[in-house]
Amino acid sequence: MSQVIACYKWVVDEADIRINTDLTVDLSKAKGKISDYDKNAIEAAVQAAASLNGKAIGLTFGTAEAKPSLKDALSRGLDEAWYINDQQAGQADGAGTARALAAAIKRMPDVSLIICAEGASDTYARQTAPRIGALLDLPVVTSAGKIEISGNTLTAVRILDDCLQTVKVELPAVIAVLPEINPAPIPGLKAVLAAGKKPVTELKTQDLGIDLAPKTSVTEFKGYIMNRKNIIFNEGQTADKVNALATALRKEGVL
Amino acid sequence: MAGVYIYSDKTDIAQEIIGFARAAGKEAILLTLSEKDAQALQNSGADKIYVIDGKSELIENYSKAIADLLTKANAEFFAVGATPRGRDLAARVAGYLDCAMVSDVSSIEYSGQNLQCVRMMYGGAVQQNEVLSGLSVVTVSAGKFETVKGEAAIQTLELEADTRVTVVETAPVVKVGVDLGKADKVVCVGMALDKVEDLQIARDLAEAVGAELGCTRSIAEERHWLPVESYIGISGAVIKPRLYMSMGVSGQIQHVYGIRDAQLIVAIDINEKAPIFKAADYGIVGDLYEVVPLLTEALKK
Repeated sequence: MSQVIACYKWVVDEADIRINTDLTVDLSKAKGKISDYDKNAIEAAVQAAASLNGKAIGLTFGTAEAKPSLKDALSRGLDEAWYINDQQAGQADGAGTARALAAAIKRMPDVSLIICAEGASDTYARQTAPRIGALLDLPVVTSAGKIEISGNTLTAVRILDDCLQTVKVELPAVIAVLPEINPAPIPGLKAVLAAGKKPVTELKTQDLGIDLAPKTSVTEFKGYIMNRKNIIFNEGQTADKVNALATALRKEGVL
Repeated sequence: MAGVYIYSDKTDIAQEIIGFARAAGKEAILLTLSEKDAQALQNSGADKIYVIDGKSELIENYSKAIADLLTKANAEFFAVGATPRGRDLAARVAGYLDCAMVSDVSSIEYSGQNLQCVRMMYGGAVQQNEVLSGLSVVTVSAGKFETVKGEAAIQTLELEADTRVTVVETAPVVKVGVDLGKADKVVCVGMALDKVEDLQIARDLAEAVGAELGCTRSIAEERHWLPVESYIGISGAVIKPRLYMSMGVSGQIQHVYGIRDAQLIVAIDINEKAPIFKAADYGIVGDLYEVVPLLTEALKK
């Protein structure tokens, strides 16, 4: 049976990140979530699996903290999930991540399609789909705003900065989808309950025989504060606040 | 030929990367699929321009061939313009080389033989510095480096294409909105706007100051009140106007990423704890339905 893989990442919710006054980054209060656009990738995989009469499988590479992602991902319509659990995932770069995912995909039978989002909400590096394609030497289509599958042929509309480009490719292939591809519905209660009963395969990187040492070395990780004036008119009558702002904008010479 | 290999489907970025390589005292070798771009860039200081000749019109389809070329040429690194095509090509070349890559660098410089890169994470909340050594790949957007002059030799280069992905059709992007990236002033609406008809108060303000109208992702993607080209943020338009004025925008960091380079940021929102005020030069805490019409009148004068 044809298998469609949705790769997703469990990330720190950026809304919970606190930047300390010395610019160190406090992630201690931050909750995890499935990277926003990966939800669209999962939904695209579920739909693609339906049109191929196949199975939709979620694949993630993360630390032990990524475990809660499995139930969330499975509640979004996936049939099963594969989880590469390794503490080194926290430090992995684009090369290591793609190597881990590609090694797991190699172990899956009858893979016809691998779907990723363009980028993750933490790094937004947009490397994973093309790198997996290269490592498995599969054709790659990125920036897909729409996909259609007919027989063994996938047609995609790529949304590029200067044109809409329709391309076609024979499966198997790797596709990076834009969030525009579908609305990624919020799972209902029934789907959430059913998710706990779906199969999960857990893998360790030593079983996959891959090296995860990052190829880049991170020398600094610090909060970025925009240097802005932060003059906020909060008190008094609306008309006074508006006049104060209008005066300030005239002085700035931006009108 | 060793040196810095460069590709961009945008000639202005290609020109800037050539400038960066030359300023660092490196040979600059430009790859292009377009004879026209090669002519346009002939006097931009590159040492050599290779016009790729092969069986595909998609640059991405030469990823494997370019990876082989870089290895054989003993290239120092591969710098690519950060556009959809460029990012795809760059990451696939990095995949074939299984080498390091830093995406969308906000700055890059040589320190000895190593490259120091800075990039933003978490939608711009965090800055990460990374060091690259050995053959590696970066993508870079426009506006980072000075251009230089100097004539390049143009040469055709036959490369083998991977023809598994083929183009069926190319259509122009139907721009319903405007190119916000080039706008001098932008008025931006967010989810605190109640009804689609209320866009009129934003339009009135925009007209009063000569601004284009933009919005947050949810306004375009969920409510479909404005075209997709109008949304500002990490996955949408990244703008650099002289003046950005938001109304009813909370200021999620994905959105703030898109306005970081605005010269002056003004925010109007009822919630004084909204993160947008931390990113703003000026702000008014108040009901946009009261504030904006008054502001429009005040700025008309």
